[in-house]
Amino acid sequence: MGLLTNLKDSISRAASTLFSEEDPKRIGIYGPPNAGKTTLANRIARDWTGDAVGPESHVPHETRRARRKENVEIERDGKKVTIDIVDTPGVTTKVDYTEFLEHDMEKDDAVRRSREATEGVAEAMHWLREDVDGVIYVLDSATDPFTQVNTMLIGIIESQDLPVLILANKIDLEESSVQRIRNAYPQHETIPLSALEGDNMDEVYDKIAEYFG
Amino acid sequence: MPHQCTNCGRGFDDGSKEMLSGCPDCGGNKFQFQPEGVDATETPDAEPPEPPGPDSSVARTVGKTAASVRDFVSGSSSTDAPDSRSSGAPAGERPQSEPERPSSTTEDAAQASARGDVVEPDELPSAAPEPSDDEHQFRPVGADPDPPEEPERDDRPDLQELREELNDQFESIKVLEPGQYELNLMELYDREEYIIALQEDGRYSIQVPDPIQSE
Repeated sequence: MGLLTNLKDSISRAASTLFSEEDPKRIGIYGPPNAGKTTLANRIARDWTGDAVGPESHVPHETRRARRKENVEIERDGKKVTIDIVDTPGVTTKVDYTEFLEHDMEKDDAVRRSREATEGVAEAMHWLREDVDGVIYVLDSATDPFTQVNTMLIGIIESQDLPVLILANKIDLEESSVQRIRNAYPQHETIPLSALEGDNMDEVYDKIAEYFG
Repeated sequence: MPHQCTNCGRGFDDGSKEMLSGCPDCGGNKFQFQPEGVDATETPDAEPPEPPGPDSSVARTVGKTAASVRDFVSGSSSTDAPDSRSSGAPAGERPQSEPERPSSTTEDAAQASARGDVVEPDELPSAAPEPSDDEHQFRPVGADPDPPEEPERDDRPDLQELREELNDQFESIKVLEPGQYELNLMELYDREEYIIALQEDGRYSIQVPDPIQSE
């Protein structure tokens, strides 16, 4: 009996691994600007492929085009989950070049960055509609999660019946409050982490395997 | 045609709303009233030069007005005319007083319209928002040294607000100015097309999306 169960398990594991390798799930990393999406994407990519996804920055809208890292194989408990990570530009309802001027940027550069960021948001929204199989929603736990953008995006994700993992990032900051995010979105599981410091990444990978495997 | 443009001679029905915003043909805004029964001539150049003539019944009826028109056209500064340029009264009372002439006992269609309807903003000449008839009336003389600054009409901001409200509802990206954008996330999410490039004039380059396929 035990032998049979083991056999069955190993067959299904092999089958699921085979399936995953053929058809990796495309997981979009979404969230508002400066939540740490690229930092997270880079950490995942570095941990499992040795490569980075893109440059990180304190300046908002550093990521202005969605960037993909394909075939990221995450191993959990002997099980392999293969995903494509799509790091998306921060989603927002307003982009203003004057925000970038504070970061020692020339006006021309700021205006261009603003335009590219806007295009990036449009792209990210479009991908959400058609091209992602699951979402990692990254929030800065040191800021208020009750925003129009967060509510709207999570609502859209729910309406698409996409699996979504909410990550409360930046727990290394003093002002961080994971509970505030849990209260905001009680219908979803919230995983605390610091993508920058690498804190609690094990649980993040467990959940990625569980949600998107 | 009880009213006639003193400039080009175009006739108007009693109470015609067209006169309120100036003659649609020549832009003139002085009109003379011709009681019923008078043979209203519509030849463009018949009236203006002749009103002072003693034999013309039309001229006798509206002699004073016509005289001032002649003065106005010729550029002389006659002071005996009741509606000289320093007086705002003629322009102000013209629209109200004429429809109330007792000579007309029955109300024609134009009168009824004038009594009941409101002139639509788009019926008015767009280039001439007329906050003050006086300024417009005397501007063509050329004596006015400072072209009056036209204050915005009160109803314009309303239209703009309405337009902006509609834009808010339907546009996925609004360009406030170069580098400043407002995004309608639901609209971006809902649209089939894929915006690949923004132009500063508010246009987008779009393409039908390809699936994100790796090679």
